[in-house]
Amino acid sequence: MTAGSQMNANNLHEPAAGFDFSNYLRNQNLLQTDGAAPKLKAKKTGTTIVGTVYAGGVVLGADTRATNDTEVAERNCEKIHYIAPNMYCCGAGTAADTENTTALISRQLELLRMDTARPSRLVTAVTLLKRMLFRYQGHVSAALVLGGCDLQGPHIYQIYPHGSTAKLPYTSMGSGSLAAMAVLESSWQENMTEDMAVQLVQRAIGAGIFNDLGSGSNCDICIIKTDGTVDYRRNAVKPNELAPLRAQVQRSGRLNMRPGLTPIIKSEFKPHPVVAAGGETAMEVE
Amino acid sequence: MGDSAYSFSLTTFSRTGKLLQIEYALNAVANGRTALGICAQDGVVIATDKKLPSVLVDSEHVQKIETITPKAGFCYAGVGPDYRVLVKRSRKSSQSYLSEYGEVQPVHQLVTDTASTMQEYTQRGGVRPFGISLLVAGLDSDGKPALFQVDPSGSYFGWNATAIGKNYVSAKNFLEKRWTEDMELEDAIHTALLTLREGFEGEMTAHNIEVGIVKKDGEFQVLQPNQIQDYLDEAN
Repeated sequence: MTAGSQMNANNLHEPAAGFDFSNYLRNQNLLQTDGAAPKLKAKKTGTTIVGTVYAGGVVLGADTRATNDTEVAERNCEKIHYIAPNMYCCGAGTAADTENTTALISRQLELLRMDTARPSRLVTAVTLLKRMLFRYQGHVSAALVLGGCDLQGPHIYQIYPHGSTAKLPYTSMGSGSLAAMAVLESSWQENMTEDMAVQLVQRAIGAGIFNDLGSGSNCDICIIKTDGTVDYRRNAVKPNELAPLRAQVQRSGRLNMRPGLTPIIKSEFKPHPVVAAGGETAMEVE
Repeated sequence: MGDSAYSFSLTTFSRTGKLLQIEYALNAVANGRTALGICAQDGVVIATDKKLPSVLVDSEHVQKIETITPKAGFCYAGVGPDYRVLVKRSRKSSQSYLSEYGEVQPVHQLVTDTASTMQEYTQRGGVRPFGISLLVAGLDSDGKPALFQVDPSGSYFGWNATAIGKNYVSAKNFLEKRWTEDMELEDAIHTALLTLREGFEGEMTAHNIEVGIVKKDGEFQVLQPNQIQDYLDEAN
């Protein structure tokens, strides 16, 4: 990554690759000055994300609530991101950071796949992610659960914003991780079947949805099998449907009145007087 | 690139208005192994002669047809190392396009981007033009198949069918007679193999040629030798 923009052969400024941190010092100064600009806040996602290995691959799960402090910014966002045909990544932290980081590494892996003519390996993705996150010293707030299957088998990794990683048989991250981990710790076993693993992940995410305010709405599931097939179940469980609640609201009958209920006693039409051309215009362009 | 000692372009006009370096580059292309392409209604096929100089060469490591985006691939005639540089650059540039626009780069954009890179090397300081002509097979943003040729000068042409490299003249004559507007990809592949065989020195097998195809609504793929063998068997 190069800092700042560079002149290319045609003497045109090319935008710098990656994130631009040129305003960092300015922002720090602003924070220190009294009564200056309001504290700049990044949009965060409270989240529950989970990943587990099972007998035939891995299962990833995530909730679908995106929050802006205490407000729900999006009720049904997608937190399981595509990295490679055999790898998906759940992201917690700042939504923009997780999306752009996973997209960047996904593109780098595609280039590598074309160069090497081989499918991508999880260790490659983990290394690319952790090197990038460490370089940004935790300022890229992306906490990830990466899962997939490669020639060495099924794997789950957790990656923290500062760049540390761990390889585990099961894990959870995000504000709802404690609720989810409680479920995982009580029920996880080695060599589960696909159904057992999916049920476990759904319960773990459910624990996060109902016990953590930062998580909610629906549960997305992604199953990546060792034979290379991917089963992406968007909104696999929808325990918080709004439609039945909305249907219960008593709305006044006066909201649906057909035309013609009000009798017309008299009607009169006067065209609006046309202002002569050359009159004063509100906005002078030149 | 563009050192103080060589900040002037090495490709300069002759008195008659020609850019001789580009002409010479085209000569290098004409000496290269034949490559051809046919654009059918429902897909594009490109094929090339991969005849290796000796039986000792490990053909597994020689790849002439390369995937650039999931929807487009390159083939070439001319100087191999120059080709590799362009392939790497074009792949990276397509990922930038994907990053910027959120969609796979359509073949026409890929062609103009690559062509402008090739043109740069005819005007920048201290470099020489690429010694290759490219055949680009791919799908446009609306899924329509297209075949393009890009020359060392940076000019590009859209073709229904074309050939470059050795014997390109006779190959093009052959194609001219056989190309039809309602051609389907399967016919195009057969015609491509027949055309390649016309100018082939010695016996043409599934291991000394390479074939790449992209079907409408599909992805670009380089055919495996066993797939090529099936087509060759049908042709016999």
